[in-house]
Amino acid sequence: MTHNAMIDEWYPVGLFSKLDAAGRKTALMGEPIDVARDAEGNAKVTEGNGRPLPVRVRYGHVWSSLGAPQKALFAIPEADQAGRRFVDVGVVRVRCSPLRAVENFLDIAHFPFVHTDILGAEPHTEVQNYKVEIRDDEVWATQVKFYQPQAAKSASGGITTEYMYRVPAPTCAVLYKTCPPRPSEWDVITLFVQPLAEDLCDVWPWMALFDDTTSLTDLIHFQQTIFLQDRSILENQIPRLLPLDPGMEIPTRADLTSVAYRRWLKRHDYTYGAQLVAQ
Amino acid sequence: MLPDTTGSWTPVALSADLPAGTVMPAWTPAGSNALWRSDSGRTAASADRCPHRGMRLSHGFVRGEALSCIYHGWSYARAGNCLRIPAHPGLAPPETIRVATQRVEESDGLIWVAVGEPAAAPPRLEGLVPLRSLTAHASVAALETAAGATAGPEGIVWKVQASQTIRLLLAAQEDDQTLIHVLLRDNSSPAQRIAASRAAETLRRAAEALQAKGIAP
Repeated sequence: MTHNAMIDEWYPVGLFSKLDAAGRKTALMGEPIDVARDAEGNAKVTEGNGRPLPVRVRYGHVWSSLGAPQKALFAIPEADQAGRRFVDVGVVRVRCSPLRAVENFLDIAHFPFVHTDILGAEPHTEVQNYKVEIRDDEVWATQVKFYQPQAAKSASGGITTEYMYRVPAPTCAVLYKTCPPRPSEWDVITLFVQPLAEDLCDVWPWMALFDDTTSLTDLIHFQQTIFLQDRSILENQIPRLLPLDPGMEIPTRADLTSVAYRRWLKRHDYTYGAQLVAQ
Repeated sequence: MLPDTTGSWTPVALSADLPAGTVMPAWTPAGSNALWRSDSGRTAASADRCPHRGMRLSHGFVRGEALSCIYHGWSYARAGNCLRIPAHPGLAPPETIRVATQRVEESDGLIWVAVGEPAAAPPRLEGLVPLRSLTAHASVAALETAAGATAGPEGIVWKVQASQTIRLLLAAQEDDQTLIHVLLRDNSSPAQRIAASRAAETLRRAAEALQAKGIAP
């Protein structure tokens, strides 16, 4: 299996706000790396053998790559919009493929069963038709609607929430979601996934919200509750790697985003964390 | 396990440990199963993987006469056919969506799952009642060494004290573990039940010590 296509991508490797001179020992695609703050206060990422790796600091996180990224890190225009609150949620380690973690984030049909009474509740289980397309070589799902008992920390009752999903990089997804206090805007919730190995990842959610009232602690607790519920699923899927062979799992109309994501991965040879042939 | 020409039976659980409306994982040499009992009390075993997104069905939930996957709520009948896909309530799931099922038999307080197509029924354990199950981090061989006995088709008969023998049914699990079902005579006194339970734990610890030292065959 070749991993070249994914080697040259950018990956999150830590929160910039938490860096110190001592550094943080972690891994990227099986290679040990060290993420630290240098004497000038800049982020510095080095491989185990001391080789310096490329670095970007954006969206609260430090980004790096084992290869030579040809593209700039994807843009999130809302990250520069005045009035938003930017929330570093922290990290959740999950014993699963980084690609499975992203696919789960793109899925709404599990809300009533996994995030019961928060992001979904029976009998409101139906997934209405939505649109999926490739825009500028990113996977986009739009007009996604779902009934939610408590869509956000700032929501006080059940509402039908509208979502848009965007996959700009193989292990990153951006969610745009109805913003209860400001109906003309979208709240932005991202999933940045650091592939530690093909079957192990650190998930770094990040948010850009219009919410001036909820405490930071409550915002973080809300997201951590959601991601811990997801972890109970992700660590119990078989196989651990994401199957790209269409015969291995059975999608329905509700899974069109996942189908488009898998095809897009396959087309780009983004196969680190994927299983190509049924076993 | 009781091999015959076409298949075998694995004792997977005590009846008392699978109440109506619950599901649990059950391992046989053919792999992991979701073992469940419907609200009306009927047992069933299916492959432990929902064909939709690969989630373990043993993490699911039972409602009525169906087992549902915890991930997206897809539900399956005892025969393995998919009954409902909650994301599409108006859709009748096609026959092709199903989980593989295994035969389940329940007798004398034990639940047995078939591997293959055994011609005979599971063995009867007349005069015995199940006491409890426990999992040892030790192989069947280590348990046999610790017990000084070889497991026959009906388990190990083991002397707990001068006047008392018990029966141990052993079912090999993943990762060199073994599930032990402890049975004893149906007229046993409370003191004998306690002695049997403690003896089984002593045996487990002895086998685990052998395994940890690498002495077990």
